Amino acid sequence: MIKLNNLVATYTTERGQVNAVDGINIALPSGKIIGIAGESGCGKSTLLKVIYGDLIYPLALTSGNVEYGFTGDRGTEVTTRDIKEYWFRRISYIPQASMSSLNPVIRIRRQFVDFQGNVVDEAKILAEVREYVRSLDLPAEAIDAYPHQLSGGMRQRIMVAMGTFFKPDIILADEPTTALDVVVQKSILMLLMDIQEQMENTILFVSHDMGVHYQLTHKMLIMYAAKVVEFGDSEDVFSTSLHPYTKMLTDSLPTIGDDHIREGVSGRPPSLWDELVGCRFAARCPLATEICRQQEPALLEHKPGHFSACHHADQV
Amino acid sequence: MGLIQYIVSRVGAYLIVLFVGVTITFFLPRLMPSDPIEGYIAQMQNQAGQSMNPETIEELRTSMRKLYGLEGSIVDQYVDYIKRVFISFDFGPSLASYPKPVSEFIFTALPWTLGLLGTALVVSWLIGNIIGLVAGFYHNSRWATLLEIFGVILYPIPYYILALVLILLFAYIWPIFPLSTTILPGPITWEKINSIIYNSFLPALTLVLAGFGWNILGMKALSFANKEEGYVTFARLKGTPSRTIMFSYVFRNSILPQITALALSIGGVFNGALLTEILFSYPGLGLLMRTAIGSGDFNLLYGTIIMSIVSVATAALIIDLVYPLLDPRIRFR
Ligand SMILES: Nc1ncnc2c1ncn2[C@@H]1O[C@H](COP(=O)(O)OP(=O)(O)OP(=O)(O)O)[C@@H](O)[C@H]1O
Ligand SMILES: [Mg+2]
Repeated sequence: MIKLNNLVATYTTERGQVNAVDGINIALPSGKIIGIAGESGCGKSTLLKVIYGDLIYPLALTSGNVEYGFTGDRGTEVTTRDIKEYWFRRISYIPQASMSSLNPVIRIRRQFVDFQGNVVDEAKILAEVREYVRSLDLPAEAIDAYPHQLSGGMRQRIMVAMGTFFKPDIILADEPTTALDVVVQKSILMLLMDIQEQMENTILFVSHDMGVHYQLTHKMLIMYAAKVVEFGDSEDVFSTSLHPYTKMLTDSLPTIGDDHIREGVSGRPPSLWDELVGCRFAARCPLATEICRQQEPALLEHKPGHFSACHHADQV
Repeated sequence: MGLIQYIVSRVGAYLIVLFVGVTITFFLPRLMPSDPIEGYIAQMQNQAGQSMNPETIEELRTSMRKLYGLEGSIVDQYVDYIKRVFISFDFGPSLASYPKPVSEFIFTALPWTLGLLGTALVVSWLIGNIIGLVAGFYHNSRWATLLEIFGVILYPIPYYILALVLILLFAYIWPIFPLSTTILPGPITWEKINSIIYNSFLPALTLVLAGFGWNILGMKALSFANKEEGYVTFARLKGTPSRTIMFSYVFRNSILPQITALALSIGGVFNGALLTEILFSYPGLGLLMRTAIGSGDFNLLYGTIIMSIVSVATAALIIDLVYPLLDPRIRFR
C-alpha cells in the first residue's frame, strides 16, 4: 500500500505560488498497474514527482507525506523523508521515450552502473545487467552501444530494462511511449506488463491515451485541476464511472460499430491560480447544481474500492 | 563509414588552407608596386660601400631573380615555388643575413613559439573550462558567481593592455620576472630549462589570462544550459553522484562545442602570441617576423608567414582529429 497523505505540492514562480497537487489523500494498492489520467496541466507529472521524492526548486511539498509501504535499510517504514536513498533500487522512474534521457557521449552500459552508491564490482554488475537484458529478450550487445546507435524503440526498451533492473517495489512511468509509433509502443507496454507480472511491482503509469489505460491498467486514478476525482478498478471506472469528468474522458474513446457523433471534451479546466470554490469541475459539468458551486465534494468510497469526488455520484 | 569521411574532409580542408595560403604568399610580392630586388641591390651597394663591381651586381641580380623564383613564366615560377615550399621547405636564403637559409631561422624560432603558445593554450583552455564548468554547474553558489565575475572582468580587456599591465606589475613595480627574455645559448641543462621557464612565465601568463575570460564564460553558459538536458535530469533521478553528473554528463557534453571553438580561435591566439613575443622580445616566430619587416627581409617574412599558416592550420587539424575521440556520434555514425 502506498499511502498519499494529504499531499499539497506547490510551485514557486515569479507570479507567486500555485498548488499543482492540492490535497490528495488516498491509498494505492501495491502490486498493481495504476493508470493516471486527466487533461494536460492537471498535475499528473507533479504527483509523480512528489511520489518519487524529487522535490527540488521550484517544487516543494507544502504539506502531507507519502508512506511507501516497505521498510528500508534501517528497518523503519520508508517515507518522503528518506525515499531518495532508495532511488532506482526500490523506486524507479521510466522517462518519456526520447533520445534525450540518455547521455549521448558515454556507452549505455556505463549509464547502467552509475547509480548511486559506489559500484563495488562493476564487471559483476555488468554481467548481471547483460543477463537481465537477455532475459527480457533484448540483445545484450545493445548495452555496449552509444544511444544514437539504437532505434527509438530499442532505446526505450533499454530504459525499461534500466528502470526494472533492481526489481524495484515501485515504478513510475510518465508517458513512457508517447514519442513512439503504435507498434513499438505496444511492444514496450507488453514488455512492461510482463515484467510487472513477474516482479509484481506497483506501476504508476501516466498517459493521455485512454485506450492504453484500458488495456494496461488494473486501477485508474482520474485527476482534475490538481485533485483526484475518481479512483477504482479500471473495469469499474471505464464501465460504471462515478464521476461526470471520467465519463467525459472515456466518452471520447471510439468503440467499434458506434457511429454517433462524439462530444469530446469541451471547455477548459479552471486556472489553478484562481481562487477555486466548490467543485472544480462544476462549470463544465452537465449535472452541476447549486451545491456543486458552493461546496467542494469530498473523495468518498461510494462502492467498495471505488472512490469518487462528486455530489451527484449516484446520477452519473 | 562516417569516420573516414570526416577525416578525409578535415585533411582535405587542411590541404586546401595550406595551398591557398602559400598561393597568396606567392602572389603578394608580385603585386607590389616597387621591385624589391632593385631595392635590395641598392641597399647592399650602400652597405658594401662602392666596392661592388657591376659584374657582381649583375650576378647578384640573376641569382636574386632565381632566389625569388622570378625566372621564366609565371606558371613556371608558381610550380617551382610550390615545389620548393612543400617538398623541401625551402624559402630561399635570408636577404639580410645572406646566405643563411630562411628555414634555419625559422626552425630555431619555431620551438619557442610552439612551446609558449602550446603550453599557454592548453593551460588556459583546461583551467578556463574547469572554472567555467564549476561556475555553471553550481550557478547558485556564491563561489560560482565569483568565478564568473572573474571571467566577465577578464574577457573584455584587450590583450595588449593586459600584457602591459602584467609587465608593469611583475617586471617593473614588483620585479619578480624579467622585463625581456634573455636565454643563454648552449646545450640543454637543468639550469637552462629553469631559465627558460623563468623567462617564459610572464609571457605565458598573459596568454593564459587572455584566453581565460572567453573559456570561462563559454563553458559557464554551456554547462548551465546542459544541466537542463533530459539526460542530466534522468541521471539525477537515478541517484547518480553529483560529481559523476558534473564530469561524465555535463562536462563531457559541454566540452564538445568548446573544442570546436578552440579550433576556430587558434588563429587569433596565434596573433596574440606574435604580439607577446614582440612585447617580451621572446625569440619565436613573431619576433622573427618583426625582424624581417624591420630589415626588409622578404624571404624571411614570407617564410614566417607560411610557417604561421602551417602552424595554425596544423593545430586546428589536430584538434579536429581529436574531436571524434570525444564524440562517439562522429566515430560511429
Ligand atoms: N516548473 C514549474 N513551475 C511552475 N509551474 C509549473 C511547473 N511545472 C508545472 N507547473 C504547473 O503545474 C501544473 C501541473 O503541471 P503538470 O506538469 O504536473 O501537469 P500534467 O498533468 O503532467 O500535464 P501534461 O499532461 O501536460 O504532462 C500546471 O498548471 C503547470 O503549469
Ligand atoms: Mg506531465
